[in-house]
Amino acid sequence: MASGYAPSAEDVVRRLRPFGMLFETSLKDLIKSIRTAGEDVEQLQQVLGRALAECREEVRAPDVELKANAVVKLTYLEMYGFDMAWANFHILEVMSSSKLRHKRVGYLAASQSFYKDVDVLMLATNLLKKDLRYEGRGDGRHDVLTMGVTLSGLSTMVSAALARDICEDLFGMLGSTRPYIRKKAVAALFKVFLQFPEALRDHFDRFAARLRDEDLSVVSATVSVVCELSKKNPRPFVALSPLLYEMLFTIDNNWIIIRLLKLFTNLAQEEPKLRVKILPKVLELMQMTSATSVIYEAINCIVRGQMLQEDDFDAASCCLQELNKFCNSNDPNLRYISVILFYKIGKINAQFIAEFDALVIRLLKDVDVSIRSRALELLEGATDDNNLATAVQILIQQFVDKDVVSASNLFRPVGTNGIEIEIPASYKTKMVSVILKICSSENYAKISDFDWYIAVLSDLCVVSQDLISTNSSIGYQLADEIRTIMVKVPSLRAKFINTIANLVLNEDITLHMPMILREGYWCIGEYSALLQDGDVFIEKSVMHNRVSPEVQQIMAQALLKVFSNWCNNDPTRPIVHVKQVLAKLIGFYESLTTSQSFEVQERSVEFLEFCKLCDESLEEDDDQDLPLLITEVLPGFFDAYDLNPILHGTQKKIQKNLTLDLDTPFLDDDELEKLLLEDSSKKDSESLLQSDMELDFESDAESVTAQDPHESFSVPEVTKELSAAERHALEQKRKQDRMDNPFYLEADDDSSQTKNSKLIDFGDDENNQTLAQPKSNSTLHLSLTGTATDDSTRKKKKKSKRKAQVLEEEGVPDLIDNPEVYEDPHKTLGSGSSVNSSAINLKVHSKLESFDFTSPQISPDPTPDADTDESADISKLRAKFASTSVDQENDSNDEVVVVKKSKSKSKSKSKKKGFKKSAKKSSEESLPPT
Amino acid sequence: MVQIKYLLLISRQGKVRLMRWFGAYTSNDKTKICRELSTTVLARKAKMCNILEYQDHKVVYRRYASLYFVCGISSESSNELLTLEIIHRYVEAMDSYFDNVCELDIIFNFSKAYEILNEVLICDGSMTETSKTNILKTVASMDALETSDNLDQVLS
Repeated sequence: MASGYAPSAEDVVRRLRPFGMLFETSLKDLIKSIRTAGEDVEQLQQVLGRALAECREEVRAPDVELKANAVVKLTYLEMYGFDMAWANFHILEVMSSSKLRHKRVGYLAASQSFYKDVDVLMLATNLLKKDLRYEGRGDGRHDVLTMGVTLSGLSTMVSAALARDICEDLFGMLGSTRPYIRKKAVAALFKVFLQFPEALRDHFDRFAARLRDEDLSVVSATVSVVCELSKKNPRPFVALSPLLYEMLFTIDNNWIIIRLLKLFTNLAQEEPKLRVKILPKVLELMQMTSATSVIYEAINCIVRGQMLQEDDFDAASCCLQELNKFCNSNDPNLRYISVILFYKIGKINAQFIAEFDALVIRLLKDVDVSIRSRALELLEGATDDNNLATAVQILIQQFVDKDVVSASNLFRPVGTNGIEIEIPASYKTKMVSVILKICSSENYAKISDFDWYIAVLSDLCVVSQDLISTNSSIGYQLADEIRTIMVKVPSLRAKFINTIANLVLNEDITLHMPMILREGYWCIGEYSALLQDGDVFIEKSVMHNRVSPEVQQIMAQALLKVFSNWCNNDPTRPIVHVKQVLAKLIGFYESLTTSQSFEVQERSVEFLEFCKLCDESLEEDDDQDLPLLITEVLPGFFDAYDLNPILHGTQKKIQKNLTLDLDTPFLDDDELEKLLLEDSSKKDSESLLQSDMELDFESDAESVTAQDPHESFSVPEVTKELSAAERHALEQKRKQDRMDNPFYLEADDDSSQTKNSKLIDFGDDENNQTLAQPKSNSTLHLSLTGTATDDSTRKKKKKSKRKAQVLEEEGVPDLIDNPEVYEDPHKTLGSGSSVNSSAINLKVHSKLESFDFTSPQISPDPTPDADTDESADISKLRAKFASTSVDQENDSNDEVVVVKKSKSKSKSKSKKKGFKKSAKKSSEESLPPT
Repeated sequence: MVQIKYLLLISRQGKVRLMRWFGAYTSNDKTKICRELSTTVLARKAKMCNILEYQDHKVVYRRYASLYFVCGISSESSNELLTLEIIHRYVEAMDSYFDNVCELDIIFNFSKAYEILNEVLICDGSMTETSKTNILKTVASMDALETSDNLDQVLS
């Protein structure tokens, strides 16, 4: 009878739904409408907005089918950046449907959006438990899959509380007859262990037994889990190593072998004894296998597991030969990873990679910039004095080539295949700093021709101008390098100073690389005696008007020095000319007297007054000689003492050095009296000015070069006392010293230590001599370790070739052991800017890292870990109370610490255990932990 | 084993076709990663290597037809070659499932693509099912079950 069964319209709609006949917008419709909207942003927004609104409606509908449909759509929309966390509850509803179809949708959505949503997870716990116990109802296949779905979903959303609640169920499932379930359970347990390490501690054996599972996929899963866990906390798994070692022999599945290797990498870091044992096996494996990823992993294992000893050349060359093969392959990925490994091996001992210099230099020309960039890092270890020039040449070429194809500035053709490569500014920056680094390493031991290096430096200054906008630290590095070379290589100064003068006066440089100016002017001022045309330089410099106050303050001083030297190094200079230059200077200083920078203002006013005095004195005497003020007083400001290279941070060390004798005066009272008398009789009014300016100058010089305070404060007074003859004698003595000592450049550390410690005692005039002797305190070591072995032989070889003498940096020995690293202020500045606040940190912390597996009791000293948040502590605590109620009585002493850590929270927990206990605890809490 | 932090499928036009995050990242991070990676990865040339360093981790990508498969992996202990292999396995699995997979297949059957991914990368990307047959078998039987589920519903 038709009337008996007349399905309503709604019924029909409902029944048709499973066949994809939805009358609401289906996922397909949604996707289609999004696609038709295409690139039209506005329309797309409209479509998406409408779809979202629909979903909001549908998700509230009573019909599960509709709900599921809405959830699928939401999951899709999530890819367009719409957060679906608001629908979590509805997702849960869909998950709870008995239909697998819905479950799949629900669990999928849940795994995308349930992360750490505590409220929903609490609600989900029971559902998950139910789904996990599904076995035994319905037909077998169905169960398996439901559980599979549940477990997959579960593994992505385990929270600490959930982990505790379900871990028993999961352990039960480890005994399942189906490999699929066992595998999924092992996977899910991984997440549980991360959140709830107690489970691993209590059921370690049950879990480890899965390593012997007859099904390979379960074994594989277990190995993976152990491997991942050992990454967080390797300690408990060291006990498994015999079994794992055996597996390395018996299993021939590459996937598992790679995981085992990873696992051993982690274990070897924890257990040094393993390293020696494993190494031969890993090497053997490497020889046998043909799979590149296994070879790669084996080398990785050796390197990261610290199995490679510094002197183990056989193993190293074994690895490096393989890597060499990789580097020659066509696959850029292989080249990339092997370059990285090369670097890591080089870090262990730079000697390992020294023979591969040809390879490294070839890699510098790789098609892929990221490989080049890696090769750059290698360069430091692979260069020596023979190939340094070649390598630097290649690098500079890469700057220049870009300029050749100036049509599109960023591209350049490579080789014959004509692929255009974008050379990013970051790579160029890196090139510059690497060039500087390799050249300056070992105190410029690799450089045989300093003329060449000067050319390189000035080239670098020119080519790296346009990099400054992206990274200003490179300018500072170059400037530092220029100053260092100037100070350290005396024979070069005469030549170099003209280069610097050209650089400083270069309009482009002034505009784009102002950092160079400051150091450049300092160098010129300091060694102005060597400058050829001082007058021209002053005239040109004065024209510079767009310099920053930092430069001006150095410049003001430098120009006066240049003037001083220029006037005096040729006595036949016409007075008129001197007057002209002086007028220029006065004009320059006048313009600075209104500077906004106090420093500049003060200096320029001082110098201005002095220049005016000079001018007056020039006016007064009409004879052909320069006035005394210029010939005597002016040089006296600056030329009192030679500046020597000083180790960075020396001043800081001295300040901290408590053994310094600061009380004994340099001059005893009589001497001082005599000196003062002498002084005042010689020059009255000027001496005051002079000493003022001297002090000023010294403190400035110090700020530029981090001078030793000996020099900045004590020395001027002492040297004043020394007559010219005495100084000359001293110089002679110093020269003699250098001649006598064949190892002058590498004066061994021990002797310098003793010399230096004399310095600290700081006796009367003696300090002058000690200071004059260069002390090697070479921190300019190659950052790669282990170069020491053949250092001496290498250096000897170099010595014969060397043309220029390089001064060692002076410094004081570390009397107090302070691990402080003296960092270059500019460098930190540069790197700091790249690490901006928007950096993403994907490191996930789990409780496992800090978990103590040693005993099932409460750990005696839970080290306070900044990473673990309070909630972690609570759950840990809660778990401990649950699992160790028996031990509690005995170990109450230990508990004190734990309880104290989260006192307020633990109180509610301790209630469970009875008031008696909590009373006992609180009484103990008040005791001071001794 | 490779710990994969996320997997993105990005079309050549820079559209995200699939994204799977194996960790609780903020939506800000997610959008930032998506945006930045799609530009950097798409800009890379064919001859360049498939590994790049990004923020605090490494990114391994591979292009299949018009789709880029982008994986974020932890930088300290991961095997880049293996990650490439995993991506390949995933593509293979999808290829057999959809029978010559194309971008449209993934767009319209994104939930299937996710299911397959869930079978390939088990447990937050820290584990991999390497057997293609196993993956396909599981997915197929789930599909079969779903159909019978639906049938049940209609018949009721």
